[in-house]
Parts: sequence; structure tokens; C-alpha cells
Amino acid sequence: MLLSNACRDGALAAIEDINADPASPIEIIAVERDPQGNIDRYAPLCEDILTNSSACHVVGCITSWSRKEAIPVVEKHSGTLWYTCPYEGFEANDRVVYTHACPNQHLVPLIGWVARRYGPNGFLLGSNYIWGWETNRVARDLIADAGGEVLGERYLALGDTDVARLIDEIRATRPSFILNNLIGPSSYAFLEAYAALGREDRFFTPESCPLLSCNLTEAELPALNGVADGHLVVGPYFRKAAEANGWPLAGKRRCASSFEAAAYTAVAILADVLATAHGSRQADLQAAFSGRRFASPYGTVSVDPRTQHMALPVVIGRIAGPDVEALEITPSVAPDPYLSRYDRTLTFGRQTLRVVS
Amino acid sequence: MKRGFRIPNLGGATALIVHRPHGVVAAIARQLTAIGVNAVDCWPDLPSDALAADFLFFDADLGHDAQFPWAPGAAPMPAIALIGSEAPGRIEWALNQNADAHLLKPVGNAGVYSALLIARRAFDARKRLDAEIVDLRNRVAERHTIVQAVTLLASRGLDDEQAYAQLRALAMSWQISMEDAARRVVAWSKEGTAGDRTDIA
Repeated sequence: MLLSNACRDGALAAIEDINADPASPIEIIAVERDPQGNIDRYAPLCEDILTNSSACHVVGCITSWSRKEAIPVVEKHSGTLWYTCPYEGFEANDRVVYTHACPNQHLVPLIGWVARRYGPNGFLLGSNYIWGWETNRVARDLIADAGGEVLGERYLALGDTDVARLIDEIRATRPSFILNNLIGPSSYAFLEAYAALGREDRFFTPESCPLLSCNLTEAELPALNGVADGHLVVGPYFRKAAEANGWPLAGKRRCASSFEAAAYTAVAILADVLATAHGSRQADLQAAFSGRRFASPYGTVSVDPRTQHMALPVVIGRIAGPDVEALEITPSVAPDPYLSRYDRTLTFGRQTLRVVS
Repeated sequence: MKRGFRIPNLGGATALIVHRPHGVVAAIARQLTAIGVNAVDCWPDLPSDALAADFLFFDADLGHDAQFPWAPGAAPMPAIALIGSEAPGRIEWALNQNADAHLLKPVGNAGVYSALLIARRAFDARKRLDAEIVDLRNRVAERHTIVQAVTLLASRGLDDEQAYAQLRALAMSWQISMEDAARRVVAWSKEGTAGDRTDIA
């Protein structure tokens, strides 16, 4: 809910800015449908937009599950889905433009950064659907490459808040870090229980055993009342980092989170592509992206025409109340959704040989 | 936590697409490029460095044996059949090429990645099994040699079981297989040199 509101805010802000711009040759009219998180409503509502309105571009979907429901519909009607959330990668559909980060822009740099500082042994958590499964699968390989061990891997059903067992297992295994791919209420319940564990046993503080997240942003932090403070996140955008480094505003506003920035960017690029497509609503995206750069709240960005993913900044940060303090910023990382350019040595440094007996 | 199969990193691999110029080639090449695999298309002849490719996509509709610089079914890399017409004769031909996976034409926005992974796995398993079968066949063929060697050793005053145990001990100390040890014992016996040896009975 918080995430979909953030994406909607970003998309509507971009539409408002484009329509208010006297230099803009196009006007964008939003056709809104709300599946209310019900997985069975995404495909029919997407079909409704593409057949009963003149719209042929859909900005939306939060979970990968819903994206995979919508994709066959946009393929069938030759529409385009602009997907504005971090996701698990291993997809490059030519009917989808991906404006948030894929694993080489979130998980790989985060695990690389953390393993060098906190140690390589991880405990993996996830909600029981594709984001958790796939992100943890990549994390298992990364932890093995870092010379570490996966000390546990546990999944909760979407919405399940019974985290006592997870906490007991984490307490027993004492990992170097915990990768939290739980979403929504499960994640909030876990963050709270972990904070309580840290008060009982000082090993489980953010300084000694941090929680890692690739999708926690300012969109959700205010609702957490500080229980996530000190833990580590990664993303292409955090409001304070954007402010401190003079990244562009979204129109007159500063985007509050990367979800908002990604949706704003999607609509801004869509408008740019349509404005140069001379009245055609079905733009040739690969040609439109080739050799082009676009202004966005992330700074000036490009879209890789081969994968339709974006080159994005990578910001590793620490949660502080409703905000994230940047610890390390890489201004632009090219997308590699299939991790085909992944290099163990670049991520973890050269490993020394160990004696195995 | 142990896992059997780690998803291989396909970046930098090369895939041959043996298909006449057609939309299907562009659709496969686009997916390969997104995955980080170099796509090389050719028709009807394969390039001279075809043997070095990591994957092969071949047309099951119009393909024929003479196109390939290897015997039917002996492609040295995982092979993926591109099937348009499901005519049984063409499927039979694709199977004779030992297709490790297939894609149905027309090829859309997806399918290439899973075809690559399935073909890789099937090909590796087939190669491993082939090697194992050759090894086992060789061993079966040597059964007669083992019987001969055991009989020879037994003729020096051991019973059958002791003779067999001794052959095994010899194989272990020479660090070779039972079959190779048996062959050595039989050879020495034929050459008449076994009598001088103190390590065999």
C-alpha cells in the first residue's frame, strides 16, 4: 500500500509536470485501475486499460508476481509495461521497461560491501513468492563466493507475522548479517522482533549483525517508528543523498523515495519518447533508447536498448529514523539483469587460499 | 546447505543460430544479447569455428545432416531444436540430432534462457553418462581376464576367495583398477615372468 502510493505519487507528479509544461508537445491522460493488491485482478484490469481505453502504456505493478500476471496481457495487445520497483532480475521482456534496480544494482553491491565489513555468513529471509526465492538464490551463490555459509533460509507466507521461530533460529546461528526479503507486515513484525532481540542480546545490534534490505525505502520508514534504525539498505535513490549531492528535482519537488523517483522517471522517459515519435502512440522503444540520455530524479540516465533496464546510481545507506544516510555512492552502474558480467573478484576482492583438511 | 545445480553464468558464451534469415533469428538473438550471450547466425553452412561454440540452435524444419561438421547426434555442445512444423519426420530428425531442448516457432519474448539452462544440464548429464557407460562396458569386457587372473593366483595354493582378495590387494597397492591388475597378472603369467615375483603369492 505504502509502495503503490509512492509509485502512484511519482507517476501523477510527472504527468502534472508534463501537462503544465508549455513546451511539451503532448498531454498525458491517466487512466487508473486499482487491483487493490488482489493478484487475480492485475491481468483483467490491464486488459481493460489496453482494450477499453486508448492507453497503450501501463505504469504499475509492485510485486514480481503481479508483473508476471500483467506481462502476457501487454504482449497480447502490444502494449508496454513500465515497471518501477526493484526486482530479482533474470528477465528482459521487450514489452517491459524496467526503471528501478536489478540485482547487479542492489543485492550484489550490498552483499559485497557487507561481507568485507561484517563477515560472509548470512541468514536469508523471504516472503514466500518469487522476489524472496530468487533474491535468496542469488544471495546463496554470492555468500558461497564470499567464502561464507548460509546459516539458515526461511520463508513466511505473505502477511504472516509469526516471526518467533525465525528469531530463535537467528539467535542460535549468530550469522554475520541477515538478508531481509520479507515484505509488508511480515517484514515490519520481524524488524520489531529483531530490535527486541538486540535489547536482550547485544550481538544482535545493527553494529554487529545488521539486517540488509534491497527494497526498504523512505516510503515505509516513517511507519516503522525507528525500529529499523542503523540497519543497511541499498537503492538507486535516497532523498537525503539526492539532496546532498544536488541531484535534479522532479519538477519542483524532491521525490521522497526511489519508488516515487522510478515512477516519475518512467513517465518522464515515456513522454520524451512519445514527443519524439511524431504522434505515434506505439513508439519503437529500442530505437528511442539507443544513444539517448534522459533527465530524471536519479540524474541524467540512459536505458540499455538491449535489456530495457536503466543505468542507475547505487547508494548503500544506513537507516536513520525516516531517512537513509548514504555510506557509499556509485554514480552509475550499467544494468546486468542476468548477472552475465558478474565477477567474483570484483565483488569480494581476491580470496586467499585456505587450508582444507 | 548443499545444492546440486548452480545456475551457470552464461556471460561471454557464444551461441550459433542455424536458421535461414527470419524473424525467429532476430527474436532469439535479442534474448541472447540481453542474457549476455553472443549470437552468431548462419545458414545454410556453419562457420569454420562452429566447433568452438558453446550452444547450438538449429532449425528442425529445413535442417539436414550435411550442414553440420559432425556426425548426426554428435554435436560437441548443447543443441536446441527450433521446431515450427510438428511433422513427426522432422521431430524424428531433430531427435536424431540429440536435441537437448527445444523452442517452438514463432519465438516470442521469452524461452531462450530456460532452453539454454535445460540444454546445458541435459547435455552435461548425457556426456557424463556416456563416459560412465564406456567405462562400465570396458569393465564388463574384462570379466574374463579377472577369472583368468584369479585362477592363476589360485594355482599357487590359494582358494578362490583368497586369490580374489589378493588380486584386489594388488590393484590397491599398484593404484590401478581390478581389471588392469588382472591384465597385468595374466600378461606376466604368459611371459613366464610371474614366477620371479614375490609379491604375487
